[in-house]
Amino acid sequence: MTVTITGLTKRYGATLALDGVDLEITSGSVHALLGHNGAGKSTLIGCLGGGTVPSAGDIEIDGVRVGSLTPRTSIDHGIAVIYQHLSLVEGLTVADNLFLGQELTKGRVMLDRGEQNRVALRSLERVGAACRPHDLVGELSIGQRQLVEIAKALQRDARLLILDEPSAALSPVEAANLATLVESLAAQGIAILYVTHLLEEVMRLADDVTVLRGGRVVWTAHEHEFTKAELVSAISDGHAGEHPAPAPIDEHADAVLSVRDLRGPGLGPIDLDVRPGEIVALYGLVGSSRTRLLEMLFGARPHDSGKVLVDGRPARLASPASALASRIALVPGDRAAQGLFGTLSAMDNLVIRAMQTLSRGGVRRPRREARVFARTASDISLRPATASLAAARFSGGNQQKLLFGRWVNPVSDVRVLLLDDPTQGVDVGARAEIYDVIRAFAADHGAAVVFATNEPEEVVALAHRAVVMRKGRAIEEFDVRTRSEEQLLALIHSENAAA
Amino acid sequence: MEPTLRHRLTTAIVANPLFVLLLVMIVAVAAVTGGTLLNWVNLRGILLDGAIVAIVAIPGAMLIIAGYIDLSVGSTLALGGIVAGSIMAGGHGSPLIAVLAAIGVGIGVGLVNAIASPLFGLSAFITTLGTLTAVRGVAQLVNPLGANNFGASFGLLGVGTLLAVPIAVWIAGAGLIIGALFLVFTPAGRHVYAIGVNSRAAHLSGVNVKRMPFILYLVSGAAAGLAGAITVARLNSAPAGQLGLGFELTVLTAILLGGVALTGGEGSMFGVLVGVLFLGILNNSLIQLGVTSFWQNVASGVALVAAIAIGAVTHRLRLRLQAREAERIARATPVTST
Repeated sequence: MTVTITGLTKRYGATLALDGVDLEITSGSVHALLGHNGAGKSTLIGCLGGGTVPSAGDIEIDGVRVGSLTPRTSIDHGIAVIYQHLSLVEGLTVADNLFLGQELTKGRVMLDRGEQNRVALRSLERVGAACRPHDLVGELSIGQRQLVEIAKALQRDARLLILDEPSAALSPVEAANLATLVESLAAQGIAILYVTHLLEEVMRLADDVTVLRGGRVVWTAHEHEFTKAELVSAISDGHAGEHPAPAPIDEHADAVLSVRDLRGPGLGPIDLDVRPGEIVALYGLVGSSRTRLLEMLFGARPHDSGKVLVDGRPARLASPASALASRIALVPGDRAAQGLFGTLSAMDNLVIRAMQTLSRGGVRRPRREARVFARTASDISLRPATASLAAARFSGGNQQKLLFGRWVNPVSDVRVLLLDDPTQGVDVGARAEIYDVIRAFAADHGAAVVFATNEPEEVVALAHRAVVMRKGRAIEEFDVRTRSEEQLLALIHSENAAA
Repeated sequence: MEPTLRHRLTTAIVANPLFVLLLVMIVAVAAVTGGTLLNWVNLRGILLDGAIVAIVAIPGAMLIIAGYIDLSVGSTLALGGIVAGSIMAGGHGSPLIAVLAAIGVGIGVGLVNAIASPLFGLSAFITTLGTLTAVRGVAQLVNPLGANNFGASFGLLGVGTLLAVPIAVWIAGAGLIIGALFLVFTPAGRHVYAIGVNSRAAHLSGVNVKRMPFILYLVSGAAAGLAGAITVARLNSAPAGQLGLGFELTVLTAILLGGVALTGGEGSMFGVLVGVLFLGILNNSLIQLGVTSFWQNVASGVALVAAIAIGAVTHRLRLRLQAREAERIARATPVTST
């Protein structure tokens, strides 16, 4: 099987998520797809899986044009996407999941559980899963669930397997097993598109490599003809050195945020000082508890002990409301689930907090709110700056700007801004604007900013200082000017290998 | 850049399709029946019926917008009515105390719902389904035989008028206006929507996500108790078994007809007004047209499902309108990204 993509383009409003992408995936080989968040990887997967309709371009399977795919026709063509968020039914057994919608029956009515379990056992053996057909999926580890999902795809005659950052949530042992499985599947003649952040995996598994940036293919390599150094420079190329130097900060000023011996479930002890105007990166992979730390600082997750001071005064972290009263705010990483009110207007989303500050005697003051919105929308370059438009209609980058505007506006008194993965799902242009907003906020207000990320580029672009997180602890701390993006990449990967 | 006037107009009509349907229905029925529908006596009856529904539907709709629901109002109405009726039996008690007692027991039921659902996080549907059944029993225990003959002064609450408009209609009108002002012009009102759309995001925005639902349950109970007092005053009798049977579904139907989304986060007091009037005029029209009460039930049921269908279609239409508007604005705005 050969899947050939030519000139694939996807436009969202004014933004090009994919811009003339060419790609070829062949049976028996592993094609690695790399790129920063927002480079277009997810959109490309979406087009192959049928969830996204491309604006232009062709997808050919074995020389036959298939036009735009739907989820149904994608499966019919033997394409299976294993997303990070797995699509198994947790309340059903492994066997039930494997046969969902294609149940084996006796006499067309009765479920043939015996036969299903026998076939399921073979499928599970093929992928090396340790679980049994009658286990409940909801009780399995993420690694086992992933194997069940792969088994399900294979049972449905998948010939192209697309894995979206499959190792992100796995333990090192599970990740190693997965790598072995991927190799054996490729040897069985299955085509594999492997999306990842981890260069070690690319070095081990990939036959071909495509690097995306800003929706375009910026680098390709075939048949193992690449080195790790080439990969690092291909991913980070172009943007290193483009960032404005971080604004100078007063090294002797009293800290705006002081964290002393903070401990909680799976975290700590953490000590951290952030001076006025300083931007600190919490740098680490998924599972390093960087999000957990931010949530604890915001009172969204309970902590066991420790002290947090804002401008020298103890902060109360009993709930988000009390953290906000202590002038600490968080922009969560999962925008849709934790940040946005999708069906409410941009105005409502932005002023949900400010309307309380502005109100008098419990009554809103719409004209003042409108002024705050207009001023903030212009400060954060919101596009379109339409107050009445539902938040869900904005692009990812502009949704993120709305969430900033909720905390960073003329009536906000926030002194400590916490950001979890601030540019996830944000295109390159909006990303630069978001960096500008964060820098301006830190510099103009002498505020403290702490953000969590797994992208070295983001650390270099934005932070004064980085704290490397691993397994709930801060294992290293350094001045960002002393390290290059390549060194950071190497740091996170050697760490991963050591883990 | 702001949306065009045309976009706003289409959006407004699409958002309240029932409003248009309502006007068409009134004209049609008035034409067929030679204007009986619009006869003042008939209209006053529709308004009084509607007012009792509206009084309960106001906090009820707000609860649904916030992602909760109060199914217990039918029994709360019965309890309030029976308590008021027992106090007034034979025309001896004080009407003021009777009304306050009805509201008080309503708040009591609301408190149980408020503690169980928003405070302890139990399912609102199950909690209020439970209180619906339990409070019905309590109402029958309070006065198994029912009460009647409450005297003229208490009767005024049901049949009295002010400037020719029934007192209950004044109460409902005031409630709708206050409700609308609350939802639009206070932060707490806006929080009701935010909680209904995304409770987690509201919590992370510093909103107390339990306070407003808690208060709304108390208001819902109070409103149902008051509606109970009005109902028994109007009937001049309080039959423990039948009072307010199925009332919670009438209220729910009116709320949903008014475009309040059962999934939360969407709806308005104007919608509630339209829903209540639509239901009242529909039933009354059927009577005017000589349709039997069995067929009236069939019609209300069909109307509800049809309204939800219309709502679903217009919802999609509205999304498409929004998308088109967003695209227009995006095209008209200079782009620097990518």
